Amino acid sequence: MAPRDGSQERTGTPDTVEKGMATINTLRIGVKAFVEKDGEKRKAEILSIQRKKGEPNYYVHYEEFNKRLDEWIPASRLDLSQEVEWPQPEAPTKKSQKSTAPAPKSATLPKQTAGQKHPRTSNTVATSRKNSESPELSTTTGNAAKPARSPLVGGKENRPGSDRSISVIAPEITTDTPKGEDSELDLVDIQDAAAAAKASNPQHQAPYSREEEIEKLRTGGSMTQNQTEISRVRNLGHIQLGAFEMEPWYFSPYPSTFTAAETVYICEFCLSYFDSNQTFTRHRAKCTLLHPPGNEIYRDSSVSFFEIDGRRQRRWCRNLCLLSKLFLDHKTLYYDVDPFLFYCMTTRDEHGCHLVGYFSKEKESAEGYNVACILTLPQYQRKGYGKLLIAFSYELSKREGKLGSPEKPLSDLGLLGYRAYWAETVTDVLLDHEKNSKDGKGSSEISVEEIGALSAMTTNDVLHTLQNLNMLRYSKGQHVIVLTEAVLEAKEKAKAKEKAKGLTKRRIEPARLMWKPPVFTASSRTWNW
Amino acid sequence: MTRATTAAALGSQRIRQRKLNTRNGLGIVREDELEPIDDELQRNVPRIDTGIEKAEEQQVIPISSALEHHLQAALSASQAAAIGGKVAQIYIPTPDAVPSSIDYEKLYPLKYKQPHSYIRFSSTVEDVAGCPYDLDEEDEVFLRSMNKRKNASTQCSDVVFEEIMNCFEETAQSQQPWAAVDSPPVISYETTEETMDDYLDYAQKRFSKEIYEHWKTRRLEAGNKSLIQGLKFETGADTDDADPYVCFRRREVRQIRKTRGRDAHSAEKLKKLRKELEESRELLAMIKQRELHKREQLEVERQLFEQRTNLRQVKQNLPDQYKQGDEDILINQKPKKKPLEITQRMPNIQIPRRTDGRPAESDLLHLSEWHAEREREISEAIEEKIRQHQKWNEGFVDLTKAPLTPPSETGTGSTFRTATTEYLPTPPASVSSEHSGDGGMDFGTVNANKAESVAVRYASPSYDGPCHSQPSYRRRFGRGGRLLIDRRGMRMTQKENVDSAIADRYKYDDDDDENEVPRYYVDPFDTASMVFRSRILPGQPTQAQMQAMRAQREAALAAQAANHGNSSTRSSRQPGSDG
Ligand SMILES: [Zn+2]
Repeated sequence: MAPRDGSQERTGTPDTVEKGMATINTLRIGVKAFVEKDGEKRKAEILSIQRKKGEPNYYVHYEEFNKRLDEWIPASRLDLSQEVEWPQPEAPTKKSQKSTAPAPKSATLPKQTAGQKHPRTSNTVATSRKNSESPELSTTTGNAAKPARSPLVGGKENRPGSDRSISVIAPEITTDTPKGEDSELDLVDIQDAAAAAKASNPQHQAPYSREEEIEKLRTGGSMTQNQTEISRVRNLGHIQLGAFEMEPWYFSPYPSTFTAAETVYICEFCLSYFDSNQTFTRHRAKCTLLHPPGNEIYRDSSVSFFEIDGRRQRRWCRNLCLLSKLFLDHKTLYYDVDPFLFYCMTTRDEHGCHLVGYFSKEKESAEGYNVACILTLPQYQRKGYGKLLIAFSYELSKREGKLGSPEKPLSDLGLLGYRAYWAETVTDVLLDHEKNSKDGKGSSEISVEEIGALSAMTTNDVLHTLQNLNMLRYSKGQHVIVLTEAVLEAKEKAKAKEKAKGLTKRRIEPARLMWKPPVFTASSRTWNW
Repeated sequence: MTRATTAAALGSQRIRQRKLNTRNGLGIVREDELEPIDDELQRNVPRIDTGIEKAEEQQVIPISSALEHHLQAALSASQAAAIGGKVAQIYIPTPDAVPSSIDYEKLYPLKYKQPHSYIRFSSTVEDVAGCPYDLDEEDEVFLRSMNKRKNASTQCSDVVFEEIMNCFEETAQSQQPWAAVDSPPVISYETTEETMDDYLDYAQKRFSKEIYEHWKTRRLEAGNKSLIQGLKFETGADTDDADPYVCFRRREVRQIRKTRGRDAHSAEKLKKLRKELEESRELLAMIKQRELHKREQLEVERQLFEQRTNLRQVKQNLPDQYKQGDEDILINQKPKKKPLEITQRMPNIQIPRRTDGRPAESDLLHLSEWHAEREREISEAIEEKIRQHQKWNEGFVDLTKAPLTPPSETGTGSTFRTATTEYLPTPPASVSSEHSGDGGMDFGTVNANKAESVAVRYASPSYDGPCHSQPSYRRRFGRGGRLLIDRRGMRMTQKENVDSAIADRYKYDDDDDENEVPRYYVDPFDTASMVFRSRILPGQPTQAQMQAMRAQREAALAAQAANHGNSSTRSSRQPGSDG
């Protein structure tokens, strides 16, 4: 993740970063300090401070690390022998912007005068909160270190929540889905690209106003969202789901009182949520659901797929979205689930059909997306299920006779998953075609569009994949597709790995898909009936 | 980067690439098939102008993620692998999921049996998750102490407790949907009682008062907010927008192009829908009414049965001589059929029954009354017609005697003739009985017949006139060609003086009461009847006939039977008449 203030400071006002030595008592929200992480010191920003049993705890975000690695640390892991960076005071010029920009970054910065530069102690912050004495989370808003200010904090985004114990704000990042102005991301040398992207100033991009963004959500039917939507501090502790326990990765708008619970229990089948073992156990005594509440449209020896209509199964789909929001950063729950279908993958045993992962899909996508959000639950990750989910989404597209592509942006894991799937699929198509032409069936040539038609991938995705795999070359005055050693080797490796694991390759068998593309009447689209 | 850029610059200098057309077929080659020089160049010039916007590509990854350390490492690793580098696959670190310590087997019992066919399922979470209120720790403390005061049989179970709490919660929610915003006072027990029937049965209700107090306490603690922890939905307040907990907002209805036709169409559809819903509502209300009546009926039947059982018991205990009797009230009697009633009910169908209390039948005419009325009207009309006709005929002498029904033109031979005025001519000597067939007398017979028929006609009417008392006769053919002779005017005025045997003989001949003249249709131009007429009327009856007639007349006269009457005398038909 782009450091919130980092890029701004580095490029915009690099000289004004105020550095200095700090003590436990002078640390405050917004300070960037070095923190010990897995044996090395990394720069991290303090997002929240909370006292537990008298000891301060710090919620930190590591620069250049995904937010899912944000964590609470004790003071002992802070390295105060090095200088810290103090939060950026608001520049006078930005003050004037505040009134005009709908939701500018500057609006969320504290209105600090020169005289207020000295940091307040964390004690002040903590004790100023109403419930600071309770062990529950007592989070202060990002830069609003001044408690007196908090009710007045300007800008819509960081108005404290009405909840008494926590006020979590959206971050102030104005960077967004990049616009074309930005320097190109060269995928040949990704390190260079990263450097180039870092060098480019997010400020150059047209900021996405909140109004614009909501409008985009409203009209686009999107379930992904702008960075500005994301609440910065995780609100839940432990999650108990089925036979597993896990840490949530991101904020999810479960009932706000759940932040006080040590563990949130989630019923594996109906996905209802409970903040105590008692109520959860009572629920389990009554709940009779044993599989996702929809029609089974695919079944093979290991998995089943269920199709669920967001409008008909509103409660369940909301529950699913709340759960998946714990693991998807860019997902938004701003709008309701009605315009989506949810395709849920399960494994079976005598307990029931266990949810492994799902993807959502717009009933009608103007952009031709065949996936809106996609998630494999953490306990099932790295087992090949993600690829199966992706393969299934393309199988549906094939049945629809359409080319499809996932909605952008993808999460980091999503991107890697898709890249792997695309590489494998394109390679398979090419090997098949090569074999067929050697057997005398069909021509030896294949166009990019033909590859797309065979795999339901869009032309763009095919092209990107070919380029990323370095397969598109120019030889003897014409373009060719090269089955590179690297690609073939990767293929062999994957085969060997499967053999070693004793797994037969998981794949979707089209004959087992009992599905017709659902048709929605004009009234259901128009009236949301 | 430097190397790549230089190479790219070199490449673009040396090879001018065409833009890739995605529709053109591309050859598939192995790496070793490429010329080494090309390969060396290409390795560093993989980027072919595809016409795809660069920005588009960047949208795949959010810019923030693009800068993330672990993603970059993974991407560059795969990139390095793509161009032949040897790198270990890099995973993005994620917090691990670990097996839970909960008693999974107990919480999730082995209940699932996979059906043979693909599952089809449409129940919602609300349908299958049971009572939405879950007993929590605080409730349990309360419930324990409450049950402690009761004996084992009257204790409140967890399930009942949850049902009751849920009843209060849902009633509060429906009564005060905005409790979270405007914080009204907690609803009263009386309010909850109004809807309690919908949630609780009789057995559950006995705990409701006690549990209400507990519920009220908890609601007050929570600031009269719902005890079931729910999500934050939009409230319409400005704070919604910034509140990250507010989720699942209603998506505004997508605007559609409006046309008059579409509006009219939708309005029509809505009207139809409304009408149909109204109809089904009425239907259901009627069904409800019917079922209530059924219940009443069953109740009555039950009472009846009990009464009968009692009666039977009583009778059993009675002395033997009283045991008999009253059997009819012990069983259901078949209701007597009233077919008339049924026909009367036919028009009843259209009359709504429930609008007024009294039986609708009272307004209705009985069919018999209606018939009588019609009959009366008709006869009155006839009377009136007759009166008018008589008035119209006043001053005229009616010689036709049957003014409204003129005498039939047919059957001249069948009309009655006064017996006494006829003097049968003596048959000519030359005519023998053998000539009764179709002999050579035709000419004379026809002439005579003509004259006779005229004479007869003028003489025949007015049997109710002065000549009424004159006896008359008529011949006719009966079934099977039998010849019958009818007589009339044979009054037997002195019946009492008549010999009893004779009176008995003519007992049924008296047709005084007959007000209708029997009519016999005979074709006057029928050959057979003409032959007959020719033979009989002018006076060539056979001797036998003459004798028979004479004998009869004499017998009647001798008996002084003055009363007119009909006596049919059988006489065998003459074979010759067939000719
Ligand atoms: Zn459940």
